[in-house]
Amino acid sequence: MSFLLPKLSSKKEVDQAIKSTAEKVLVLRFGRDEDPVCLQLDDILSKTSSDLSKMAAIYLVDVDQTPVYTHYFDISYIPSTVFFFNGQHMKVDYGSPDHTKFVGSFKTKQDFIDLIEVIYRGAMRGKLIVQSPIDPKNIPKYDLLYQDI
Amino acid sequence: MAPAERCTVCRQTFFCGRGHVYSRKHQRQLKVALERLLPQVEAARKAVRAAQVERFVPEHERCCWCLCCGCEVRKHLSHGNLTVLHGGLLEHLASPEHKKATNRFWWENKAEFQMKEKFLISPQDYARFKKSMVKSLDSYEEKEDEVIKEMAAQIREVEHSRQEVVRSVLEPQTVPDPEEGSSAPGSWNGTNSQVASTSQQPSYVDLPPAPELDWMETGQPLTFIGHQDTPGIGNIHSGATPPWMVQDEDCSSGNQQIGPSYEEFLKEKEKQKLKKLPPDRVGANFDHNSSTSAGWLPSFGRVWNNGRRWQSRHQFKTEAAARNKQQPRRKKS
Repeated sequence: MSFLLPKLSSKKEVDQAIKSTAEKVLVLRFGRDEDPVCLQLDDILSKTSSDLSKMAAIYLVDVDQTPVYTHYFDISYIPSTVFFFNGQHMKVDYGSPDHTKFVGSFKTKQDFIDLIEVIYRGAMRGKLIVQSPIDPKNIPKYDLLYQDI
Repeated sequence: MAPAERCTVCRQTFFCGRGHVYSRKHQRQLKVALERLLPQVEAARKAVRAAQVERFVPEHERCCWCLCCGCEVRKHLSHGNLTVLHGGLLEHLASPEHKKATNRFWWENKAEFQMKEKFLISPQDYARFKKSMVKSLDSYEEKEDEVIKEMAAQIREVEHSRQEVVRSVLEPQTVPDPEEGSSAPGSWNGTNSQVASTSQQPSYVDLPPAPELDWMETGQPLTFIGHQDTPGIGNIHSGATPPWMVQDEDCSSGNQQIGPSYEEFLKEKEKQKLKKLPPDRVGANFDHNSSTSAGWLPSFGRVWNNGRRWQSRHQFKTEAAARNKQQPRRKKS
């Protein structure tokens, strides 16, 4: 499943992807290919990537190979998915404590498709943060720890 | 002819003078009006025996129109946030002005004499009403006190169960730190099941956490890859510059051209071309500088125009083509 999606393995490639994706939502999945939850997420991403080909471009990024980005986005749990549009980072309010990325896997393909559509519409209207259409029950829960508290 | 007089019951002007009151129409209107008023008075009369006290609701501000006095009367008597049902109406019906007005009304409109009694409330009845009102006020207060006591007991119960939960959570505090991240979801699940089994009370604290964590726990807990905070370097939450905006050393400044490159410029030109409407189109934003052909007139010479312009245009074109074909042939021959 993860071999169907294009992978980015260095900071330069990620930079390139962010700067060059135009008029489409850029989805970057930060995680490891072997991790079970990442596998689930990759499954959903690859199955929906052809349907969303006109609206979104999906890439997989290995957290171990791009420490700069892992550090910048404060990725503590994998998989984490970050969304961009025209080089602008899109924030989404999922009802979870962190709006900058989506932590965990989606429950169904439809959730992911709805989310991409909402991000696309919001971005086309010039918004920088949108409200997630996913039911809060289906958002994975995690504890946002800070400095070992 | 008698002078024009207005009958308020029929809501009409009449010229018959005193005779109008005896007419069939007037009597009918009168009967209907009294029938409308009667149920209200009956309800008020019932309240004389057993006065009811209720909590105030904006609906209790409704007024009733007293036909005899010709004025609006508050139906229920309210004070603070309590209401005595039908209190206002009763008060009005028992008053002497209402009695006088009723008598006058009956005399003027020649209504039935027996009906008059039904619309009056005697002062004794009113006194009786007052007594029953006092009694029902007392019983209402008692009921309210009971309800408040019940609510207090419920709140105390919930508070107690909450304390229990907090106590049971504070107990497993000895888990070491690095495992805290991944086992935190696990430990929550453990304590929740503990609490659910111990406390039998229907407190709302237990129920939401258990199903919430269910969907996440049936998968695996998320892998924790360590705190990403080196104190010197900023991250997205602290507003540092994003890595893709940072200038890299290996990008030479010669490559950095500001503005679109040549290919982008060509693409923009193509997009601009698509924006313009076709020049031959007639309508809004017509390009006045375009050259006009022979077919510029809106009509194509058809007389009985029916259907769209395109269809007549198409026909005109085929005919023109056929004509042109014939002309050079003739010339040849």
